[in-house]
Amino acid sequence: MMSDAQTLPLAEQAAAAPLKVVGITKWYSEQRALADVSFDIRRGEILGLIGPNGSGKTTLLETVAGLLPVDAGSVLWQRSLLPQHRRREVVFYLPDGVRPWDGRHVIGVLEFFASAFGRRAAELDEVTRSVGLEEVLGKHVFALSKGYARRLMLALALLTPHPVLLMDEPFDGFDIRQTREIMTLMRRIAAQGRTFTLAIHQLIDAERVCDRFILLADGRVCGIGSLDDLRTRTGQTTASLEDVFLALT
Amino acid sequence: MRSPDVAPARRVSLLPLLAKEVVELLSGRALWTMLLILCPLVGFSFFQAVALYGEASAAARDQPQLASSLSPLDGILVPTFGAFYVAVTLLFPFVAIRALGREKETGTLKLLVQLPYRIPTLIASKLTAIIVAWLIAAISVAAALVFWRLFGGHLNLLETSNLLFGHLLYGLLIGAIALFAAAISDNSATAAIVTLVFTIGSWVLDFLLAGQSGALGWISRLSLTQALRTFEQGLLSAALVLGMCSAITGFATLAAIWLHPGTSLHKKLARTILCVGLAGVLLAVATQLRASSDVSEDKRNSFPTADQRALAGLNKSLIVTVHLAPEDPRYVDLQRNVLSKLERVVPNATIRLVTIGQSVIGSAGEVSYGEIEYSYGGHSARSRSTSHREALPLIYGLAGVPVPTPQAGEDYPGYPLVADGWIALPWFFVALPLLIAVAWWRWNCHAPRIPAQFVKNGDQL
Repeated sequence: MMSDAQTLPLAEQAAAAPLKVVGITKWYSEQRALADVSFDIRRGEILGLIGPNGSGKTTLLETVAGLLPVDAGSVLWQRSLLPQHRRREVVFYLPDGVRPWDGRHVIGVLEFFASAFGRRAAELDEVTRSVGLEEVLGKHVFALSKGYARRLMLALALLTPHPVLLMDEPFDGFDIRQTREIMTLMRRIAAQGRTFTLAIHQLIDAERVCDRFILLADGRVCGIGSLDDLRTRTGQTTASLEDVFLALT
Repeated sequence: MRSPDVAPARRVSLLPLLAKEVVELLSGRALWTMLLILCPLVGFSFFQAVALYGEASAAARDQPQLASSLSPLDGILVPTFGAFYVAVTLLFPFVAIRALGREKETGTLKLLVQLPYRIPTLIASKLTAIIVAWLIAAISVAAALVFWRLFGGHLNLLETSNLLFGHLLYGLLIGAIALFAAAISDNSATAAIVTLVFTIGSWVLDFLLAGQSGALGWISRLSLTQALRTFEQGLLSAALVLGMCSAITGFATLAAIWLHPGTSLHKKLARTILCVGLAGVLLAVATQLRASSDVSEDKRNSFPTADQRALAGLNKSLIVTVHLAPEDPRYVDLQRNVLSKLERVVPNATIRLVTIGQSVIGSAGEVSYGEIEYSYGGHSARSRSTSHREALPLIYGLAGVPVPTPQAGEDYPGYPLVADGWIALPWFFVALPLLIAVAWWRWNCHAPRIPAQFVKNGDQL
């Protein structure tokens, strides 16, 4: 099967897959965290970065966002090199386990982000409602439950105007019902042209929400594609993502 | 929900960022704790200063000639600000570190550096918040000045403003060092240690190297505590102001260099070397500046007005060769009474210390030891006096200038005052701490303003 990159003209390629990650390699002292990782991120898709703990998911997201220096590799935006200091114009990264400005009230943090990115009050209201933060606006961030803290982070990401959102373990802390709500929200936003790249270690969640997957093990890409593509590669036509992952890594 | 193709480049308002930084500092315990500690510290220093000033003033009632030595700058302002200086040195780093340290510890820094602000803008906004914190911390000192005025005490606007300005620069310098320490450290505890290395290290430099000559003397002048002494003497020196501003900018730039986690170590090191080099050049330029203004009301840094005018008219090179060891008390006297004033007023004055590297014991046996040689226009004269009353006529003689007639009525009158400082103690030990505690409690308990659409029947949804 031919990929889009082989069949589409260059301009359309750039529109379809505006962000390309090329040959990223990262070492921590003597330990290699990422080895020549390359992939592209397509407009309006939800891309799952799948791998066990320690496989390099967070490192990869942070290098793409320009928050970690790399030893080799580059990021292209619409076929032009996107230097590290300009990544924040295109990509917004949401780290895992952060309670931002935890001494402040939720509404204060949201309003700060909204005004920093020039969002109007109506947009802030819409985001607040869409992630279900109405009930905790008057609470301090440190007093939020894990689920609400995660919703707050998601709201901050949605308040940014960036076309590509990178999220580290976005469903961690949500129960099943909340996870489904957030997945529906992401689908709706992705349908409007925004792209999500989610680092997920829960394969069931990933299978539900992602359009394509990057399978990562020991810092190496073991497979890229939709679930059907990966099934074809493994020859298991009805296999789950878990089976595919085990077969390819 | 809007989702444009790229984040549009646009002008972003700095106001939300500045407000966030100030709110962050107010949300921490460090600033409030410092405010509470400052109250009794400053209050007791002020009380003691007023008591001592009162005793000296009482003596001046019997001997009016003593009154001229009673200056509120030395008697009240410097001791009261001294307590503030100690607090700023030891406690303010913890306040300033919070401006960045908390964001580093919680991982929020990763969000901060993705905001639509440049890194120098982020650091500048944090430095601005630190200035606001310093102004809040200065409330107790301001209260002391108000009490002094209520007691009927005299304050000279220029010398008081100059001292305040010096302390503000010092506070900013401590803040910039703290920001740099927070930028290079993983946690606030390490950042505090790094900052205290600079501040307490300055004290060590003062103790060990003060009065030394040569390289050791030069190193001792890098001490942060030396920076305030000029302001405490009522002198506004361009060299010192530029030097302190260079150091503040240098440390703030270093903080900006080390802030972004995405910059590689070798880039950070290369930029650090460049920054330190540029700051060094600026400091070197600063040392060459001679412009200064004597803002003290008693004009202690200047000769009498008539002499100032006559000396300013000397257009040839005046060379003063001093045969004294730097640690010799006579040299200290000469420096204070004559040399520093000559350097300020004579357009082309050069001071040569011929005993650099020698000690009092090693040099005292030399015949010329203790001599001061004044050379002007090919003539020279020698003296052993450390007083301007003997030195200036020698210089006038060399220059062929008549000794100017002293102007009448320019003597400093002095401002003796006997006051009961204890009246201020309840304010500093009870009322002000109580007010601060209430303000802290209200700040912590205040409910945020929730948009009306999220409030139903008076309660949040």
